[in-house]
Parts: sequence; C-alpha cells; structure tokens
Amino acid sequence: MSELSLSQVSTGYGRIQILHDIDLRVGDGEIVTIVGANGAGKTTLLRVISGLIGIWGGTVTFKGRSLSRSSVEARAGLGLVQIPEGRQLFGSMTVEENLELGAYCRRRDGRPFLEKRDEVFTLFPRLGERRRQQAGTLSGGEQQMLAIGRALMAEPEMLLLDEPSMGLAPLLVKEIFTTLRELNSRGLGMLLVEQDARIALKLADRGMVMERGRVVLEDKASALLDNPEVQAIYFGQHGGGGGSRTENE
Amino acid sequence: MTFDQFLQYVFSGVTTGSIYALTALGFTLIYNATNVINFAQGEFVMLGGLTAVSLHEAGAPLALAFVGAVAIVATVGVVFQLLAIRPLHSAGILAQIIVTVGASLALRTGAMLIWGREALPLPPFTGDEPIKVSEATILPQTLWVLGLTLVIVVTLQLFYRRTLTGKAVRACSVNQGAARLMGISYSKVVLLSFGMSAAISAAGGVMITPVSFMVYSSGALIGLKGFAAAIFGGLGNPAGAVFGGLALGILETLAIGALPMSGASGYKDAVAFLILLIVLFVKPQGLFGGRSVEKA
Repeated sequence: MSELSLSQVSTGYGRIQILHDIDLRVGDGEIVTIVGANGAGKTTLLRVISGLIGIWGGTVTFKGRSLSRSSVEARAGLGLVQIPEGRQLFGSMTVEENLELGAYCRRRDGRPFLEKRDEVFTLFPRLGERRRQQAGTLSGGEQQMLAIGRALMAEPEMLLLDEPSMGLAPLLVKEIFTTLRELNSRGLGMLLVEQDARIALKLADRGMVMERGRVVLEDKASALLDNPEVQAIYFGQHGGGGGSRTENE
Repeated sequence: MTFDQFLQYVFSGVTTGSIYALTALGFTLIYNATNVINFAQGEFVMLGGLTAVSLHEAGAPLALAFVGAVAIVATVGVVFQLLAIRPLHSAGILAQIIVTVGASLALRTGAMLIWGREALPLPPFTGDEPIKVSEATILPQTLWVLGLTLVIVVTLQLFYRRTLTGKAVRACSVNQGAARLMGISYSKVVLLSFGMSAAISAAGGVMITPVSFMVYSSGALIGLKGFAAAIFGGLGNPAGAVFGGLALGILETLAIGALPMSGASGYKDAVAFLILLIVLFVKPQGLFGGRSVEKA
C-alpha cells in the first residue's frame, strides 16, 4: 500500500506563508492532479512532499509512516520520486549516466541496472539511440522522456510530477501523457501538478484546485472537467489553458 | 639559452609545476562541490610534507610515511569541513571563504608550534644520482613527482567517469537539488570532496619535500600559485587545473632563465602572478573555463 497523505500542512518562505492547511490523499495506483494558476502554491506543495522545504505544521505520511524525519535523499529510496519542474537533468552527463544516477537510491537493494535501463529504452526507444549523447543536447521532448526514465530507475511507487508538459509542443505533450497513462496502468501512483488543466484532468482520477495556497475545490477529475467554473478559469478560450504558461511559477 | 639549458629549466619547471597542478586540483575539487575557494589549500600541501617528515623520523619507511601523511591530512580536511565550513552553510559562500583564510593562519601557526621554523628535509624516494638527458640532468625525484602526479590525475578521472560515487559527485556539481532528489547525499559528497582535495594536495607536499624542503610557512605561496594555476586553466575544470599548474611551473622557471640580470630568480614569484593578472584581464574564465567565474 503506497499511499501518500498530507494533513493540515502549512509552510512558506521566510515569514511569508505559502501553503495553508493542505489536506491531500493519493491512494495506491491513483492519479491525483493539482490545477491552479501560477503562484497558487503547486510547486511548493511538491517541494514539501519531496522534503526540499520544511513544513511549519501538519503531517506528511507515505506508506503509513511519517516523513517528518526523512531527508530529501531518503525519500527517493522509500519509493516517492519527484520529477522536478524544468526536468533538471544533469546536462553535461550522458543519457546513460543520468539513468545510472536515477538508480542511485537503489544501488544496494534494487533490481539490476541493465534490466531497468533496457525497460526505459523499450518505453522510450529514442533514448536508447542517444544513450551516449549529453543530456543537455537532447530536444525538449527527449529531455522530458529522460526525466521520466531517470525517475523510473529509482523503482518508484509514487511519482511526483511537476509540469511535465512545460515547453513542449502539443503532440509531444500527448505522447508524454500517453506514456504516463501506461505507467499508471501498471500500478504506479502519481501526483501531477500541471498548468494544462484539461489534459491533466483527462488523465487523473481525482483533481484538486488550488488558489493562493489553499485547496478550494476537490472532486473526481471527470466532474471537474465538466465544472463550468473550472472550465471558465482554467481551460482558457481555446482549451489547454496555455494562456499563462510563459511565466515561471 | 642553449637547448640543454632550456631542457634543464623545463625539468625543473615540471617538478614545481606538478605541485602547483596538485594544489590547483585540490582547489577544483572543493570549488566544484561547494563553490568555495579554499584559501587553506596550500596548508594541506605543507601539512603533507611536514607530517611525512615526522613519520619518517619516527621510523616509518618512506612509502608508509607518504601514505600515512596523505591519510592524516585527508582527515584534517574532513574535520576542517565539519568544524569550520559546515556550521556556516546557511551563512553563504563568502563567509565560508573567509573562514578558510582564518583556517590557513591557524594551520600555519599550529605547524610552527609543532615543527618549528626550520625547513625540514625528506630523503629522495630513490637515490639522488642525477640522470643525464642530452647535456641536461634530471633528478630521480622529478620522475617520481611526474609519475605520481600522472597516477593521481588518471585515477581521479577514472573515479569521476567510471564509478557511481564519482558520477554522484559530478551530478552534485551540475545540479545539487536534482542530485538530492535521486537520493545522493550532498553533505557526504562535500565531505568526500574535502577529504580527496586535502589528500591530493598533501601528496604533492610529500613529493616536493625531498626537492625543496618544507617549512611551516611554505603553504602560503604554494597555495597562491595553485590558485593562480586553477584560474589559469579555468576554475572548476580538473584537466585545466593540471595544465595550468604545469604551464605555470614551466613558464616561471623559463622566465628566470630568460631574464638577463643576476638574481633573476627573485622575480620568480612575480612571474606567476603576472601571468594570473594577464589571464584575468584577457580571459577571466581561464584557458579552458566552461563554468562562469561570476557564479562564485
């Protein structure tokens, strides 16, 4: 049972509070998405879960145990693996080295590296062709594939995804989300933060809407897709919610 | 200058140049892991030499004194990081750099109290019968210095390129946050870098002591030359550091040979810093500098 649960979590930077009393639950094999405008606190929420910033109050538990004493480094080993915003690959290192580092937290207890690497190359054949290439020279789509592949090397039970569609052409976004759906069908749970609310809600089981650091709406993803308020605010005129994606959160 | 004289200067230059290279490599390791310029780097060289002298006087064979001194100074490097640098983590890079300046004074004074003010020798690793090359001569110790420097540089490259730990260290210098998300402990990488940096510089100190002796105050100048070499080659680039060190050593001795006046060797140190100034004016990122210097 790999369940992630947050209860009454609050945090911020310096004296400025960003998150207020967040409750969140992602069940085993479930996809939950968080939609919200820039500055709503979505990325901060993921950083709390991966431990990159501490919390002021509340609890974060994964698989029934509290994460309050787990360092950032330890959390990947527990099966909670984040794909950070903007991919954050090791650009001057090769594709293969990036994958090797993805498996770092499983260096003692994991499945064999080559076996996992070949699975990633089966999932993303283009990465296999470019295995000796520096990650920084890959196209945007390939970089996102590598970011996902690198995370899979850690044998995750739950993925935390931060804006996987960022900077990608619509066709590539579709491809990436198809892959995510496939990974989910194998039982991988996901918490997905995404500007593109429409595509995220289509993939997810449940969705939450965040505004100024609070969860203001929570429902089945299909219900949110049909919710006129959500449509008006987050889907934009032409769909895809692409209107505000030039800014960085 | 005849060719043989030229050769003689080059032999002499690569000997000191190797030590600059190892010191520069020490700077590079710590800089890549933490963005800190460790101004106590030269003291690691000095400590390496003097510790080996003591171990050898206590009866240890030279090889054991070498390994022992390197291990002891590596420990000093780790303790230094834990006691002086780590508590300043949140205070920022500048505070950490300043503490390295303080540490260098403390280490120098400590060394003076332990070893006194006399320059201390170490016997050459294998004899001191000069080997004739054309009309120039080369000391066996020079071959040791060159050979061991090569071994250290190649081993370090293999470590970075072939081992998972080495790749983890590189990952931390590329993107610390992402590395931590992969389960890599940044604080352990920093400790490892300080230990390795101190060990490499200490090895340089042990090797050079049979050639030029070692005194408690030797670290200051070697440290500055090593820093100049690291800048020369491009701060953050290990290959550049080695090239910068060797180039600086050779240019320094050649300049003395080329200057017509007597007592030209007094200008030797000025040459190194003149080169540093020229590099900083013309190409501030160094000859092979990939990473921007402003980042520090």
